[in-house]
Amino acid sequence: MKRLVIAVAVLALAGCGGEAVVPEGQGAHGHGASSAAPPVPGASARFNDADVTFVQMMVDHLQLGISLSQVGLAKATSQEAKDLAGAIDVTQREELTMLKSWLKLWDKPEGDGANLHVAHGGQPLLDDKVINEAKDKNGAEFDMNFLNLMTGHQGAGVEMALDEKKDGMNPETTAYAERVIATRQGQIQQMLKIISGP
Amino acid sequence: MKLMRKAALVLAAVPAIVFITPVGSASAHGYISSPASRAAQCAQGALGDTCGQARYEPQSAEGPKGLKNCSGANGAFRELDNDALPWKVHNTGSSLTLTWTFTARHVTRDYEYFIGGTRVGFVSGNNAQPSNPTTHTINLGGFTGRQKLYAIWNIGDTVNAFYSCIDLNINGGGTTNPPPTTTTTRPPTTTNPPVTTTTQQPPAGGTWAANTSYAVGSTVTYGGSSYRCRQAHTSLTGWEPPNVAALWEKV
Repeated sequence: MKRLVIAVAVLALAGCGGEAVVPEGQGAHGHGASSAAPPVPGASARFNDADVTFVQMMVDHLQLGISLSQVGLAKATSQEAKDLAGAIDVTQREELTMLKSWLKLWDKPEGDGANLHVAHGGQPLLDDKVINEAKDKNGAEFDMNFLNLMTGHQGAGVEMALDEKKDGMNPETTAYAERVIATRQGQIQQMLKIISGP
Repeated sequence: MKLMRKAALVLAAVPAIVFITPVGSASAHGYISSPASRAAQCAQGALGDTCGQARYEPQSAEGPKGLKNCSGANGAFRELDNDALPWKVHNTGSSLTLTWTFTARHVTRDYEYFIGGTRVGFVSGNNAQPSNPTTHTINLGGFTGRQKLYAIWNIGDTVNAFYSCIDLNINGGGTTNPPPTTTTTRPPTTTNPPVTTTTQQPPAGGTWAANTSYAVGSTVTYGGSSYRCRQAHTSLTGWEPPNVAALWEKV
């Protein structure tokens, strides 16, 4: 009976905050290749729930950012805004490919990003409706709304990455979180300087 | 029987753990981005590391409703309350238009704007999600000169609010509340060089640098290798050529 209690407790705890290891031979395909950067850097095999949640949420977050970038590319009037939209578009596509490959390696589903965000207390800034409404504006008004939305969206990405840095354990994922923090902060700096002047 | 009760207790406790852990700092929120609030200036890197957490999360100065401060009495954001820091002062007439930047769209009770104890602006949120963009024009009434405006976003479904402060110089006054002497001594900007907005291309084969505008076809060197730009962009830390094949092709 006592054993049953312990087993129940262990099983229950393993469900939250446990760590997992991909069996030997399946992990780390991005390592030791050569000095040429592989197109999709691999993630190593040790990861925990925070890593998985972060990557699943980022997949959804990146897709929304790409959708908004597409709108910016099509309609932005200032070259600065257009270039930024283009750069966010291509870099986030690259990140998306990488993160999806990590989930596959870890045998984790892409998940329902929107529900994940809600479960984590957020009411995400972007959804299809907000992105569609952005298309209705024109000229300078479009640019300001686009930059404002992108500033907020990328700011939410920084928050998610800060959580991963705190709670995650997979070295590639935490390194990616560091890069999210640095690049989004850089983008936000560029955008705020356009929004409110240097 | 006793053991059964223990098992029940363990099982009962587990869902609580599950619900508590994911919440973490999940939060997300908003700040005034135009004119640049103190938090926005922190996010721009204008004050370097002075700002504490506001540099990373300008949107998260959250605290209970009813405060009159810039940090939401949130310790990680206390530097936002420091009037001695070299905050940029925005020159304005009596009418001021402000824009909020949100990272999450909380159901909104209302927005309040205060100078000292005087409420100079109120906009109902109708307990709905904010629209994009959320812009308000308020009348600063009889206030002139150097003033600190508290912008407060009162959330509809929590006890909290988000706080944002904007330093103003109204109607060119500036004598009623002289700025602290430190205003003129901005910290050196070496850590955060201004974004280069020129479109001129760096010399071919130059060393990659952050905050530089690169056109398609520009070439740079980084870490002993050469790269060609594939997508026009202004470079930034984290977008070093080996990190982003989408922007830089190795040649």
